Formats: sequence, structure tokens, C-alpha cells
Amino acid sequence: MSSAQYPPRVVEAYIGEYASGKSEIAVNRALELVRLGRPVTIVDLDLVEPCYTLRPLKKELEQAGMTVLAWETAELIGLGETGNVLKPSTRFCLLRPGDVIVDIGYGISGARVLNLVENAWEDPDLKIYAVINVARPMTATVDQIVDHVRDIGRVDGLINNSHLGDETGVAIVEEGVRTVAAASRILDIPVVATVVAESLAASFGTNDLYGHPVRVIRRYMPKAFW
Amino acid sequence: MSETSVKPGCPVAGERKVFMTGNEAVCWAALAAGAEIMYGYPITPQNEIMHYWTRNVPKFGRRFLQTEDELSAGFTTIGGVLAGRRAFTATAGPGNVLMQEPLSMAEAMRIPVVVVIQQRGGPSTATVIYSQQEVTLTCFGGNGEGLRIVYSTSSLQDLYDYTIKAFNTAWKYRFPTFVLGDGYQAKMRESLNIYDPAARGIDMVPTEPFVGKPGKIGEGREAAHLRNAYSVEEELEVAMARDTSEYERVTPEIIEYDSYNTEGADIVVIAHGIVFRSAAMAVRELAGQGKKVGYFRPITLRPFPREQLQQAVARAKMLLVAESAYGQLLKLVKENLYGGPCNLPIKTILRPGVGITPEEVTEACNALLDGKGA
Amino acid sequence: MAVEMELQPKMPKCWNLATKPHKFCPGCGHGLILKALGQAIDDLGIQDRVVFGCDIGCSLLAWDFFNMDTVQAHHGRATPVMVGLKRANPELIVIAYMGDGGGYAIGSQHLVNAANRNDKITMILANNTNYAMTGGQMAPTTMPGQKTETTPYGRDVKEDGYPMLGPEMVAAITHEGTYVARGTVSKLLTLKSYLKKALENQISGRGFSFVEVLSTCPTNWRTNAEQTWAFLEQTMQEFFPVGELKVPPEAAAPTAPPGAVEGEGE
Repeated sequence: MSSAQYPPRVVEAYIGEYASGKSEIAVNRALELVRLGRPVTIVDLDLVEPCYTLRPLKKELEQAGMTVLAWETAELIGLGETGNVLKPSTRFCLLRPGDVIVDIGYGISGARVLNLVENAWEDPDLKIYAVINVARPMTATVDQIVDHVRDIGRVDGLINNSHLGDETGVAIVEEGVRTVAAASRILDIPVVATVVAESLAASFGTNDLYGHPVRVIRRYMPKAFW
Repeated sequence: MSETSVKPGCPVAGERKVFMTGNEAVCWAALAAGAEIMYGYPITPQNEIMHYWTRNVPKFGRRFLQTEDELSAGFTTIGGVLAGRRAFTATAGPGNVLMQEPLSMAEAMRIPVVVVIQQRGGPSTATVIYSQQEVTLTCFGGNGEGLRIVYSTSSLQDLYDYTIKAFNTAWKYRFPTFVLGDGYQAKMRESLNIYDPAARGIDMVPTEPFVGKPGKIGEGREAAHLRNAYSVEEELEVAMARDTSEYERVTPEIIEYDSYNTEGADIVVIAHGIVFRSAAMAVRELAGQGKKVGYFRPITLRPFPREQLQQAVARAKMLLVAESAYGQLLKLVKENLYGGPCNLPIKTILRPGVGITPEEVTEACNALLDGKGA
Repeated sequence: MAVEMELQPKMPKCWNLATKPHKFCPGCGHGLILKALGQAIDDLGIQDRVVFGCDIGCSLLAWDFFNMDTVQAHHGRATPVMVGLKRANPELIVIAYMGDGGGYAIGSQHLVNAANRNDKITMILANNTNYAMTGGQMAPTTMPGQKTETTPYGRDVKEDGYPMLGPEMVAAITHEGTYVARGTVSKLLTLKSYLKKALENQISGRGFSFVEVLSTCPTNWRTNAEQTWAFLEQTMQEFFPVGELKVPPEAAAPTAPPGAVEGEGE
């Protein structure tokens, strides 16, 4: 894909259920943009599980050429347990030049986490995408997904990230395509992509069976040990 | 006695493959096992057990109480069990320390509480992340003899299976029962099968109230007078003799272990929990190369599979104990080798609070096979 | 009922006759508190639904006092065990019974949080101004200047603070539906009415109920009968005013018969 197919400024916030794949998709998206030579900032706004998702990958992502707004291990000593510790610079992430990819954690506050970010609701480029894995019991059915997405608050697009980790096959991805698409019709929110791991990429073309774009991702999160 | 509002049917229909974290697996297992009430106090890394339990409470007619501390979480769990409910709690680290007080009461009074421990670094606050440093505390905490049952899990499937099993073990044998996980397993994501126990032919052991039974006192039932205090040594001795002999009697029914390639192995690697995964990967690879290496994994750390360990290492020349602690599994191994081949050299990988990779185990085994020592 | 009180030694029906005479010291207030409680339980006809939880300290000696389901817990922990029971089976009527050390020191967090959560339980706390079972040490309720084994020169408020005002604290932190009172073993009819209201408050599901009872400990006070009475009636009541601190409007109707003679004791 050439850079011309992207909007001038990509501002995307990934939100969804615990372990739905938000961080993985955010990291892959940020790397995709940085490879095009675009200035990219990736932001860890996970307030329920802070410091665990992007933290172990921070160095690697910085070496790839992006700015990472996330805590470093050494900065956290003395700041308590997991603590809902907001790194001050993340508050102003949307004022930064270039593309901004925001990883929002799970939690009952949904998209309201963005209240903490300056200018979030005025930013004309911001897209909030809900990441859905139908192999998770609380987002397994159309009704559950509809309820879940309505709870989040504002959502601009759905991402089908249905998988079973190392045991993922085509079937679970396609079950996800059908289920998320059905929820999309009820919610009147578009499906922006189906995500598949590199190992399954050959089984899919550039579009899934319903025509949604397919995003191929590499799994980085196992490096975070959890 | 009134029934809880538990909705009929298992929250997990049949069996299916899912993708989730370990804490969620515990929550779904407790739901599937028919646990009626959870009591808990926030501590990392077990919080998501409570997060997912509370999300599901109204859906499946269960109950939850967030207590003022782990003392209260443990004692309220005892209260829930006394009412005849499948009640459980979960904690870690400093919370596990506080939890020992109520657990010693549960041990003394044979109250079948189920406790999930997601070990974190220690001593003290240490890290919120991971360790295997709560083995001694979980097996032998409290001012007693450690009359408890402790399952050490090594995968998310284990967390699901043994959480269900813990309720049955606790209610069948009436000893406090623990699922000993850790922060890695708590937060790790992988696929697993979740199932309705009935779909696998697992019957849930029925529960019964200790107090508040139906009927009038003096007409068909006697008042229950439950205590843990004794006036004289002889009274305590009788109670302890009864409980310790019962514990020893049921030990053979409870113990679980796993072993591989120990026949003819020169080196037997001993590990439990998540470290066992690394050990197993390393050992299988080395065995595949024709090297004389096997493993032994205690699944129940308490009671410990003593005879099985002794048999597994009977022909070994050397043992390698690997754990994310400074000798807590090692202590169990040494104790349980007594009377067997107890003069075997024991090499160790002891890394308190830090994970151990398969490569490290492979390297240590190769060094030992080459006669270089670990 | 006034007549019943006078007909000694008639025991409440819910008492466990097999364990009488009870194990408390001569002159101890526990027997009186548990008599008033037993009568309140008999009046309400709830013997079969009650679970009585006793703490460590002298309250432990009540583990087989009643012919009712009883659980003896650890020091300070009768409260959470009863909270857990009540949450798991709201049909039960649970009573957490403890001393001042159990309620105000080692178990204070349970008192504060059960009160704050408005748990539907009844807590009864005997205040005898010392740790009696362990041999007469300072308690949270020890009076200024009072000598105990750990305040051999008398409680110095500059070092050790003032006595804890439990009902006042509970009244301050609770909201509607809570019943809070301080009674005394010197006024058993009033005490019985407080305990009955405290139980009714739980039965009706209105909320948390807490009754502190000024009690006697001649063994550790080293007092004769006259001195014991004087300490209870004068010294203690200077610091610990007796009366109802919080009564839900629905529970305000008197349960003691009008004109009943007070202060007669037993």
C-alpha cells in the first residue's frame, strides 16, 4: 500500500475487551506507518493494566523510528502497585505532529479514558476502533458485541480480531467476520478490517469474505511475556 | 434455608475453545463449577479474577463482596462456606500473608474454602509481576501443620481444570484447597477449552451448610457449636491426631504429578508451575536428541507425591531443580527424597522472582551432561 | 417481662442448659449481657435462625453458651465471619459478639467497614475497659489514669490517647437504617430493649446494628461488689454515656414496657 492511500494524518485509538488484541494491532499499525517514513507516536493509555503492554517493547519500537509514550520500568519504582499512573506526556499526545496511535486498555470506563487526553473530542482526525475477538466468551455473540460496543461509548469502526492464539485456524477468523459484520449492521458502525496473523495470511487475500480489508499482523506481544 | 439466586444451567455450555488470560480462566472455571459467592480484596496480579467475576455476577445470579482487607476476605469466605456455599477468594503476595490467619482457622475447623493464589515477587511488596516464592507460605502458612491441598498449575488450561477440581477436592475432603498460579499465568493469554463440568462427566461434589440448617433446634437437629480453641493439650492432641491421620489417609487419592523419560535418565529435572513449561520444553528437546534427560513435575505440592518422586529419580545420577524462588521447591524435594535416593547430587537454577526460559534449562542440562556442573 | 426478669434463676429458653453454670468469672458482665440477649432472642422467637459468632477474649467462653448455632472465630474476626455468612445466606440472623479489644483494636477495620457498608448484621461489644482474658492489659477503652498491666502508672492520655468512643464513631460514619446504642449491664431491661431493637433492625433488613455494653470485670479490676458497681455506674459512665445514638424512624417505638423499673439489676 502506498502512502497516498492513507489520510494526511492518521489518528487512531484502539479499544476493546481485555486481551482482545488492542496492543498488538496498535503496534502493528504504528510499525506499518513508520515504514512509510511517516512521523508516528504510539501512546499507552492502558489505565487498568498500565506499563505492561508496551513497556517491554518500548526500546524495539523506538529503534524502529517511532516515539513511544509509555512508562519505562525504572521510572515506575515507588509508584506503587500497578497504580493507575498516567504518564503526563500522554495527556498531550494529540498535540504532537504526525500520526498518533493510541492503545486504550480495557475497563469499565470505555472510551471515556479519552477525556484525559487534551483535544481528543475536537480532533477531526481521531478514529476510535473497537477490537473484537469472538473467541472471548463475553464478545462471542452478535448480542454480546452490540452491548459491549454500546458500553464503550463513541466507536467509529469495528475490527475483527478473532483468533485462538497459536491454535488459530481460518474457521475462527471467518466466524468472526460473520459475527462482527452482523453486529456492525445493528450498530450501524462499519467494519474497518479483519486482522490475521502472518502465518494465516496466505489463506486470505486482501479482503475477507465480506470484502473488509485484511490487515496482516506479526505477533509482538509474546515478547511482553503476557 | 434459602437458595441463592444462582441461575440454572452452566454459564459455559458444553465445551468450546476460547482465547483469554489466566485470571479470566479462573473466573470462568469458578462460574462453571457453580461457585456462588466470591469475597476479595484488590491486589495485583489477581485483580481480573474479581473484574470478570463482578461483570458476570448479575448475568448468572452470583454474589460478590469486596472486603476491607485480606483478613476479612479470608474470614468472609469462611462465613460463606459455613452457609453451605461454594465460596472462594483470590490473592497474592502480601495478601497471601494476611490470608494465612483465616486459612489457619479453615484448616483447624476443616472448612472447605477455595483460594486462588497468583504469586508475585517477595518478600514484602516486592514486584507485582511474578515469582514462585509463595510455595512455602501456601503449603505451610499459618500456625499449624499445613493440612491443605495445593495444586500448582502450569497453563491456562490447568488454571481452568484445577479451579473446578479445587471445589470438589475441598468439599470432598474438607481441607482448605489452593490453586497456586503466578503473575505470568494470570496475565498470559492463550487458547484453552472451557467446559461445563457435566459435559466431561465431572460431578460437582454437593455442598452443605455447617450452620443455619433447616428445622428446629432440639426437634430433629442439634445446635452446631464450632470452635478452634481448646482448653487443654490433650483435647488439641486428639483433634490433631484425627485431622493428621485423615490427611495421611486421603493423600494417595489426592496426589498428582507428571513425569517423562525418567527411566534410564541420568538427569531428572524437577520443576513446578510455569517453570515446568520451560523444563518440559527443554527436556523433550534434549530427549529427542537422544540425551538421557527426564523430568518430574509435582502437581500437588501439598500433599507431595513423595513415592512417585523417589521412583522417578531411582536410577538418576543427578537432579536439577529449577524454580523462580531461592529453594522453596528444593526444600520440598529434599524432604521428600529422605528414605529414598537422598544422596543424589542436586544442582539448581534458583531465580527468585524471575522467569526461567527453556534455553536456560537446556544449557544447564548440557553443562551437567558434559560434566561441567550447573 | 418485668416479672420474668425477677423470677431468678429462670434462664432464657435459648440458653444451653448443659453448659450452665457458665464459665465466666463471678461478677463478670458477660453473663448479664447474654441473659438480656437470650431473652431478646426468646421474645423474637428466632433461636432457630440465629448464628452466634463469638470472638477471642472472654467472649470466646460463650462458644457453647447458647443452644443455637455458634461459630467461634479468631480475635477480632467474628465480624467478618458473620458478614460472610449473612452475605451468603441473608435468611440467617447473625450476631457478632466481642470485647473492646476485638471490636475497637484488632478488628476495628471490620467494625468500621461493616458499618460503612451497612451490612445487615448485629454487633454486640462488651466494654470492660481492659483485656481481661490475657491478664488485664490496656484496652482501647481503658480510662484515663486507669492502671492496667501495661499502664502500670495509669493510662496517660498524652502517651496512650483517650478511651475509644465506639458507638459515637459508628453513629458518625453510618447512614439511614443503622441502629446504634450504648447500654449497660446495670440497666438490663433497657439493655434488652436495645438488643431487641438491634436484632429487629437486622431482621427487617434495615441495616447495620451496633450495641456497646458497659460491662464489669471485678477479676481484673480487683474490685469488691460495691467498688465494681461504683466503677460501672460512675467512673465508666462519665466517659461512656449510656443511651441510643441512632434509631431508624421505623424502629423508634419503645420495646420495653412503659413504667418498667430500671436500674434494679439482677
